[in-house]
Amino acid sequence: METVLVVDDEEGILSAITDLLELEGYHVLAAGNGRKALERMVATRPDLVLTDWMMPVVDGLQLIEQMEATPGLRAIPVILMSAVDLSAPRRLRPELVLIQKPFDANSLVKTVRQTLDRSREPR
Amino acid sequence: MSPPENAPLSTERIPTGIPGLDEVLGGGLLRSGIYMVMGEPGAGKTMLANQLCYHQASRGSRSLYVTLLAETHSRMLEHLKPMRFFEPRAMPDSVYYVSAFRTLEDHGLPGLLELLRREVRHHDTGLLVIDGLVQAQESAASPREFKKFIHELQVSASLSRFTVLLLSSGTGGPVQPEHTMVDGILELRERSYGVRAHRELRVRKFRGGENLAGQHFFRISDAGLEVFPRLESLTHREQPLDKGAERVHFGIPSLDALLPGGLAVGSTTLLLGPSGSGKTMLGTNLLAEGVRLGEPCLYFGFYETPDRLLNKIAKVGLDGLQEAASSKRLALHWQPPGEYVLDVLASRLLAMVRAHRARRVFVDGLSGFFDAAVEPARLSLFFSALTHALRCMGATTAFSLETPQVFGPELTFPMGAGISAVTENLLFLRHVELDSRLRRLVSILKLRDTEYDATLREFTISRDGIAVLGPFSTGDAMLTGLARHPSASTRED
Repeated sequence: METVLVVDDEEGILSAITDLLELEGYHVLAAGNGRKALERMVATRPDLVLTDWMMPVVDGLQLIEQMEATPGLRAIPVILMSAVDLSAPRRLRPELVLIQKPFDANSLVKTVRQTLDRSREPR
Repeated sequence: MSPPENAPLSTERIPTGIPGLDEVLGGGLLRSGIYMVMGEPGAGKTMLANQLCYHQASRGSRSLYVTLLAETHSRMLEHLKPMRFFEPRAMPDSVYYVSAFRTLEDHGLPGLLELLRREVRHHDTGLLVIDGLVQAQESAASPREFKKFIHELQVSASLSRFTVLLLSSGTGGPVQPEHTMVDGILELRERSYGVRAHRELRVRKFRGGENLAGQHFFRISDAGLEVFPRLESLTHREQPLDKGAERVHFGIPSLDALLPGGLAVGSTTLLLGPSGSGKTMLGTNLLAEGVRLGEPCLYFGFYETPDRLLNKIAKVGLDGLQEAASSKRLALHWQPPGEYVLDVLASRLLAMVRAHRARRVFVDGLSGFFDAAVEPARLSLFFSALTHALRCMGATTAFSLETPQVFGPELTFPMGAGISAVTENLLFLRHVELDSRLRRLVSILKLRDTEYDATLREFTISRDGIAVLGPFSTGDAMLTGLARHPSASTRED
């Protein structure tokens, strides 16, 4: 079973996405900010990280930077989600998978699936 | 960008960017103050707070918006998208949204405080908004703990020089312990007046500065919140300019002859009479004379569209006003039929006078203001404030006001108590039935500080304009509209 780590400071969103992905057959870990996400990742390596951008303590972009700086974590695919306009991160990190809030469940599930599949393709 | 290092703590004001609110607050919020914004769900708290954040962003200052158990950020931003003040590019650098609900659940108020302090510092925040204060209050083990939280937040705000808005869905009930801790309390509510509902804002508490007391109307549109301070609550420190001997005339020689001293510049004249008696004609003549003299003029009307008005007065010798309107020497403003708010009307009128630097103003339909008053008891003070404001701008103003009865022995003056007292000049127009003919009558009931001819005069309206004839020398009860001869009528011409 594939493991997805969902990171979002908004309790309601975290809970809703967790339930949605569990229904889709994923094992889901949850964290309320980037620092907690890193702690969880070290304990249980996820197959995908789905993270919000604006969060307290360590935000989404900072989390990605810290993952890239950590051996064992840098290869984990990441999806960045936000209610904020994503054109700046799109420009800075064109390789990043982005999803704009508010999104519907089907779009999210599809993006998670595609990102996981792409990460398994030989480079 | 952090606040200036050496900015004084106690007197520096943060402008809200919300039109009218800074006037109510005496200039804005005080930097490093803690303010509670109270109101039921839907009252406008979130909109107010966000509008403040984006205004701060436009001034180069950063805001942190912290939600507890409130709507999701994406839902909130969806609601903000139609707002003109909303600038998506301000996020995340200048406006940063985080949820602290999980922190509050897991670590209580101490954990929340730690998060706030850390995030404020990390984001170099000038304005902190906490949306959902009730959740924090419910997490407190006791009222004392909650007061302690507010106090510690206050200390942090003073140290780090950030201003705090606490949004609470509490209503204006009895004083709660935390109310004593904060520097100010703004209440937003909706009040019903018969079938109408008005949004109102009240400053319940404001430490360290003057504010405008009482309820003030506000509305929410795509401009966000706009507050319209109650006109009579504004402190009228401004004194009208003394125009000395300057006088203005109607530009109707036969009428001006009755008031050789003319109307004082900046004065207010009431043109009172039933429907069809000639009030609009007289008022527009006043403007036409101003246009002729090169003065910018303003027509502010409720009943007739600009095109219809111009067509109507062109038929009575005022065809030059069409060109004046085209060249903007005459500004025409029409309020379509509908529900209005007294302070919004006043704000619009005064803004137009200011924008056009109007020297002469004709408000055609004072009853348009009456209809907008949900509390008629305000009218007297309201008009006193309005006429004072117009006087201070040096605008000579005429108001037309319809009397309900066309004929009859009773003269009903549809004016609230005291309204006639605030107008310096009063001209009464009437239809008179005499000799089986319907005639128009004009009489000057009041003209302040100058002599006038008090005789009752017939006046005519024709293609050549208004002409005032000689006085009725006989005939009784003229002012009732049902004149009668004591003997054969003669008129001195």
